[in-house]
Amino acid sequence: MRENFRLIENRELHETLYHYRFYPGLDLYVLPRADYQKKYAVFSTHFGSIDNCFRVEPDPEVTELPDGVAHFLEHKLFEDERGNVFDRFAALGASPNAFTSFTQTSYLFSCTDNFEQNLDHLLNFVQEPYFTEKTVQKEQGIIGQEIKMYEDHPHWRVFFNLLAGLYQKHPVRNDIAGTMESISQITPELLYRCYNTFYHPSNMAVFVVGDLDPDRVGGQVEENLAGRDYKPMGEIVRLFPEEPAGINQEKTVQELVVSEPIMFLGFKDNRAAKLENGPLMRREILMELVLDILFGSSEQLYNELYRDNLIDENFGAEYSAETNYGYAMLGGETRDPDQLYGRIMEAVDNLKKEGITAEQFERHRRKILGGYIRRFNSLEFIANNYLAYRFRDNEMFDLPSILQGVSRNEAMEVAVENLDPSSHALSLVVPPPEE
Amino acid sequence: MFTNYSEHYLPNGIRLLIMPTDKFKTISMALFLHQELNREVAALNALLPAVLEQGSRQYPDKLTLQRALEKLYGSDLTADILKSGERHVIAFGCETPHDKYLGKNGTLLRQGMSVLGSVTGDPLTENGGFKKDYVCQEKNQLIKDIRAMLNDKVSYAYERCIALMCAEERFGTYKLGQIEDYDQIDREALYSYYQKLFYYNPIDLYVIGELEEEEVLEAAGEAFSFSRSEEQSKLPPTEINRPVPEVRYHEESMAVNQAKLVLGFRTYTAYGDAQYCPLLVYSGILGAFPHSKLFMKVREEAGLAYYVHSRLERHKGLMVISAGINCDDYSQARDIIDRQLEDMASGEISDTELDNTRRGLINRLRSQQDSPTQLISTHLSGSIGGRTYTAQELIEGIEAVDRQEIRAVAEKIKLDTVYVLRPGEGGS
Repeated sequence: MRENFRLIENRELHETLYHYRFYPGLDLYVLPRADYQKKYAVFSTHFGSIDNCFRVEPDPEVTELPDGVAHFLEHKLFEDERGNVFDRFAALGASPNAFTSFTQTSYLFSCTDNFEQNLDHLLNFVQEPYFTEKTVQKEQGIIGQEIKMYEDHPHWRVFFNLLAGLYQKHPVRNDIAGTMESISQITPELLYRCYNTFYHPSNMAVFVVGDLDPDRVGGQVEENLAGRDYKPMGEIVRLFPEEPAGINQEKTVQELVVSEPIMFLGFKDNRAAKLENGPLMRREILMELVLDILFGSSEQLYNELYRDNLIDENFGAEYSAETNYGYAMLGGETRDPDQLYGRIMEAVDNLKKEGITAEQFERHRRKILGGYIRRFNSLEFIANNYLAYRFRDNEMFDLPSILQGVSRNEAMEVAVENLDPSSHALSLVVPPPEE
Repeated sequence: MFTNYSEHYLPNGIRLLIMPTDKFKTISMALFLHQELNREVAALNALLPAVLEQGSRQYPDKLTLQRALEKLYGSDLTADILKSGERHVIAFGCETPHDKYLGKNGTLLRQGMSVLGSVTGDPLTENGGFKKDYVCQEKNQLIKDIRAMLNDKVSYAYERCIALMCAEERFGTYKLGQIEDYDQIDREALYSYYQKLFYYNPIDLYVIGELEEEEVLEAAGEAFSFSRSEEQSKLPPTEINRPVPEVRYHEESMAVNQAKLVLGFRTYTAYGDAQYCPLLVYSGILGAFPHSKLFMKVREEAGLAYYVHSRLERHKGLMVISAGINCDDYSQARDIIDRQLEDMASGEISDTELDNTRRGLINRLRSQQDSPTQLISTHLSGSIGGRTYTAQELIEGIEAVDRQEIRAVAEKIKLDTVYVLRPGEGGS
């Protein structure tokens, strides 16, 4: 049953998005892209690795999860009573996949043929869970190998070690896949409980993009939901531990087989965790600008560090925030972490003293605007990111216009607030000492 | 349904391939210089794009260059070295957003092309060589990159297997060469090597976007006006017929959690061969998809691996199976993999496997049409392999593959090298 419809038009990007809402609360977005061979669909739930403590209104009972359940569930949905879901997509020439982030789990396919049948498969398998003792046990073996692979991955380790250094309690500090120990606690009952909460249509959304007729897709999704007898569900209350303002650990060092040290430096953004959605998106854009002005390849610092062989082309900085956490992170491989660290902190200090010039600000603004436009070539980029913004009530198509509206003063304010030396931490992966 | 390139030649002999399309929000430009892969010149080839990217006569340092690109709305300039078969390709790219999304009136193509022309054709020199600081700095960076191959264990294991398997062939050369090769390169030698390469070697320039052909021809002619030889050097083809007297086994131990198993095969099938499509289908059924035998048996049924797949090195005619496993499961995993290979050889392939693989391959081919990068790299692949397939030709080829042909492929394939990276001591 269609509850709502609207058009989202974006003149800068020349895009028109069709937004439908169906009972009991599922959002569908259709972005027509004429001339594309590929059609891409993603069905996402607002359930990620950080959602490990929750209750559902009006029930006061709180469920606490071991780490890695969202990701485990993602793996397990690909199997049902009829067997393996991959085969059904393969028979229609589609390429299916899935991923789990801190805040969402997404199931997707791309195809160039049989779109409607593939979309039905996607809608069906995600809405039809099947978990048994046996299949859960087998998956513990597969995910165990996934965890081991990441344990050997130095860039992944340095990233999560830094998050664990920045955060004392917030679950963003834990690996998305969990640990060997935490996944051993997962049972079919637990998966069903999470499934029945987070996979309710009111907590989910579908995005499709390609050479498609929006109303036709709308009708198909509507029909798929109609036969399923959904009841409205109470609000999901996600419970997060009170995160202290201070960091957890100033410096984390792990030994791994690497050619030279890898250093990541992070600033915990305590302010972001308290912002409403609108200001949060603005802050992300401002921090993207600030970090590019400080550490980008068109500025003095980057070029000096590169010349001194302290960084390579992969050195980079990024800001990431959600409604209850936020951080800026930068770094890369370096022969001399101490020197690199000193030079970065000095540059942060200088920025606060010297500010940003108008020329710098406009130049980087242009660069970032161009970057947004370039990324809109990719159907995958649009679909995956649109829903991530949507789950926190942001409109991704607003990126260019917000970027055009931000000011240099705002950027400086955000920089001073976030790049606060009292809330930073360091993570290092180093080669074992030579014998 | 498929857009094709129109082919032109600039006055100096550079081949220009233009694909006008309004599908994309960008203008993509890419320049490729073809050279043979061999140990003697590998480090020179790798160092060249790295040094050129540091600055040109017009943009004498990276900072100036990057600022110019930022003013062009963050146009992205890339310089890279590719290894494909026994071909070493020096690659430059420039992607700019299309003017129409910026309310501008069509100058970004010309400006982007001019930056690309400046960096490749009009380098910064001093006293008959490249700038000393840049050469020195980029040598250090590349030596660091060679060492950093160790950091990603999945690709490290793959590269080790290839290096061991092809130790006596040109293909065994790592794409960045070897550390000791860098010592001997000086700025004058590199510059004269540059002059020789850009004078004699084949160069392809690709442009994709919402553009008029005339406009592109004019902009490219202006940006790439350096003089070149009328006769271009001929590059040797990739050798694919090396026999396997016996299977070689290599094991390495390192302080890691997960063991990596890599199996290198020779298919004796080249990119341009009639058996190329059957080979695609063979590898597809075996291990290129989540519905393939390897994924289904090793991962989904036995739960032994998170990743397990087969990949083709199309120009060298190699097939490589990779898996990340528990060391204790080695024999079990090898048994299952070997059984899948036997099934391929004895024709134990269901209709579903065959059909699904055909569809999956066709889906990939069609999807390539939606990405400027892939449109360029598939065409480039044709130039390297000496045979340009259109997407339609390949689709028809794949549809026509029958069991007899798959069996013929299976009969030719030979395991050459087994490489295992084992958890243990070591790793430097």
